[in-house]
Amino acid sequence: MLRFVFARVGMAVPTLLLVSIAVFVLVRMIPGDPAQLLLGDLADPDSLADMRQRMGLDKSVFQQFVIWFGNLLTGDLGSSITTGQDVTALVSSRFLISAQVVLAAVLFAALVAVPAGIIAAWRQNGVTDLFLIGTATLLVSIPTFWLGLLMLLLFGVKLSWLPVVGYVPFSQDAMGAVLYLLMPIATLFLHEIGILIRMSRASTLEVLRLDYVTHARAKGLSERAVLTRHVFRNSFGPTWTLIGLVLGNLLGGIAVVETVFTIPGLGRLLVDSIYQRDYPVIQGCLLFVAVTYVLVNLAVDLLYPLFDPKVTAE
Amino acid sequence: MKTFVATALGAAMVTTALAGPAMAQTIRVHQDADIRSTDPGVNRDGNTDDVILHVVEGLVGYDKEGRPQPLLAESIDVSDDGLEYTFHLRDDVRFHNGEPLTAEDVIFSWDRFMDPETGWRCLSSFDGRINLKVEDASAIDDMTVRFRLAAPNPLFLSSLARKDCGMTAITHRDSLNEDGTWNKPIGTGPFKLNEWRHREYISLVKNEDYANRGEEPNAYVGSKRPLVDELRFVVISDPATANAALVSGSIDIITRVPYAEVETLEAHDNIGITISPQLSPATLPLQTTDPLLSNVKMRQAIASAIDYDQLVAGVTYGLAEPNTSLVPISSPFYSDVTRQGFTYDPARTATLLEEAGYNGETLVLTTNKRNMPNFDAAVIAQAMLQAAGINVEVEVVEWGVQSSQWQAGNYQLMSFSYSARMDPVFSYEAVMGPKDEQPRKVWDDPESQEILIQAMNEPDEEKRQALIEDLHRRMVEFVPIIPLFNILSTGAYRDTITGYESSSFGGPQLWEVSKAE
Repeated sequence: MLRFVFARVGMAVPTLLLVSIAVFVLVRMIPGDPAQLLLGDLADPDSLADMRQRMGLDKSVFQQFVIWFGNLLTGDLGSSITTGQDVTALVSSRFLISAQVVLAAVLFAALVAVPAGIIAAWRQNGVTDLFLIGTATLLVSIPTFWLGLLMLLLFGVKLSWLPVVGYVPFSQDAMGAVLYLLMPIATLFLHEIGILIRMSRASTLEVLRLDYVTHARAKGLSERAVLTRHVFRNSFGPTWTLIGLVLGNLLGGIAVVETVFTIPGLGRLLVDSIYQRDYPVIQGCLLFVAVTYVLVNLAVDLLYPLFDPKVTAE
Repeated sequence: MKTFVATALGAAMVTTALAGPAMAQTIRVHQDADIRSTDPGVNRDGNTDDVILHVVEGLVGYDKEGRPQPLLAESIDVSDDGLEYTFHLRDDVRFHNGEPLTAEDVIFSWDRFMDPETGWRCLSSFDGRINLKVEDASAIDDMTVRFRLAAPNPLFLSSLARKDCGMTAITHRDSLNEDGTWNKPIGTGPFKLNEWRHREYISLVKNEDYANRGEEPNAYVGSKRPLVDELRFVVISDPATANAALVSGSIDIITRVPYAEVETLEAHDNIGITISPQLSPATLPLQTTDPLLSNVKMRQAIASAIDYDQLVAGVTYGLAEPNTSLVPISSPFYSDVTRQGFTYDPARTATLLEEAGYNGETLVLTTNKRNMPNFDAAVIAQAMLQAAGINVEVEVVEWGVQSSQWQAGNYQLMSFSYSARMDPVFSYEAVMGPKDEQPRKVWDDPESQEILIQAMNEPDEEKRQALIEDLHRRMVEFVPIIPLFNILSTGAYRDTITGYESSSFGGPQLWEVSKAE
């Protein structure tokens, strides 16, 4: 087991090294001058040159990379060139905000979608299946920004049940935080539930066709016992992997939901930084997202044996 | 029972939401992006200026017409040779920390601005690199400061008052940390900085001891009483969310409503709209070094192929009027001459195209979607130019990309908005100059440049007016750029707000604005 963990962590190191190089180079390939964007059309050439020097952009890309990578090894991601904030602190604080939304949404979505997928497969081609798969397809097809705006209009504007804009940390006001996060979590929940129902249904269908399920039924087990004891454990693997991928994806990319609901999360930080060509923040965000992705999937792999003991054996 | 439960739940939610950050006498104002810093004129953009100029003030500020007037100065004496400006300070002004304003504070702030380490955006406008050079600034006594210029310059006071220079704000030395780095502004403005939650909001609180000039409101220099306890600039980047927030009462004011949304918001009984043309011009710069566009007849053909009334009505939903001059409509220099700019004349276009030997070559019109008026203007202009027989392809790029292309002069035609410049000569200076040194300049004509320099140094206002009008006539003839209209300040506010008006300066001025309970 320990060897498996070390092997997986070892595989992550070159991945992250390549990611850091790719991130650095790609960010600098984006057309657009950070100094020009910062100063706007009011700046004269001297001021632009001064600003480029202050930002360290007068050095070669290789020199910039060496400085950045050297600092990275000491855990220093640099400072934002637009606000001067420390990137490590900035990215971690924004990540925690995004994580609240993502973890809650994915947890609830998994709790609902997995049983729903099993039921849909169990009642394949029946009314329940049609209803569940129809709902899932509809939810997957609705863009999150549109769903979010509809929620804002209904619960925020028409009914005035929930606040339309703002964010309060849990540490400051737990009840307030729940109210502010309710709509973004619900939006993501509804979107992800569609994806997970479809995956859970598909993998359950595969298992239901296997001989040992027929055997379990033949020996007189109740349908409930067949589904929970034999089908669920064997069909959950692919869905679990998908949950890991979805989590990894969302932890770095709910910019749309964060923009609609004005949540100061990581996704919005990344998008804003790209518009401003704030290189240190873009690099910090992307690297953080990559690390998160690797860690989440590592955690998923390590937990896999709980559902599929074969994996440990291998 | 179900209805009761739902109502009770709803009521509980609303109560909790209101018990959160919402407070009486707080005006919540929409801001489409976070501010850059709290250091006036240093790390800034338009949003930053709008917020910080509620906190700090300069020796002079702009009045409604864009003329510099004394603000922290009681009066200003100018020597006969135009080289010395003596500022007599007001004796009733105190900083937010209770300390009185003195000449020493002015010199401290000035020296800090002039130190290249500070990174003041306007340093090159005062150290002689552009035109104006301040040779010396010194305290004559506790309440008097004298600035000596290297050469007379009628734009000195106007330059000091510039918003993008942070109004050359006078701040207390305790605004700095012990190591000399910026901490927070301790200014003299009607509001004090309270809290900045990055990318969430900036909160300013009332300066109870604000030394008001006690006159009528007059932009940055008249009466500026803080009438509410708190101003909260809430960062909402999505315009649809901002509209929903205004309608639901989560915010009180939107300062930049998209033109397309003005009518929708106006339809609400409890929402008012206030519109004013800004100083910032929406334009079509033309690259005069381009093989096709280097022919002046080709550029003139383009200018007369555009139906300005229709284009501007289409882009602004009938809210703005065309202004084919670089002098803003709200400027005192906007005259009958500058009103006579480009005109729509398809017959002239046909003749000019023939004379230019145009053979249907494709022109690329670059624009972006961040500033929707730029995009809309490009699309409508394309249709009009196509109708006149000029092949135009619209290229939509991300704003940062367009900005770089503009800076490098790497385009044929562009739909681009310039930042607001208070004095018309600054508007001309933005587009005029040698392209080999500054490729972003669109108008490279030494003869016209001479006139610009004369206008910059001419103290007599009537003579300056004549020089500006001369520049305008030349621009219409030379067609290096086609100004279309002045970008609008489109404000929307809830009916609980009194005293809020959009201004030609773009951003909100929230002194003298109150909110009903």
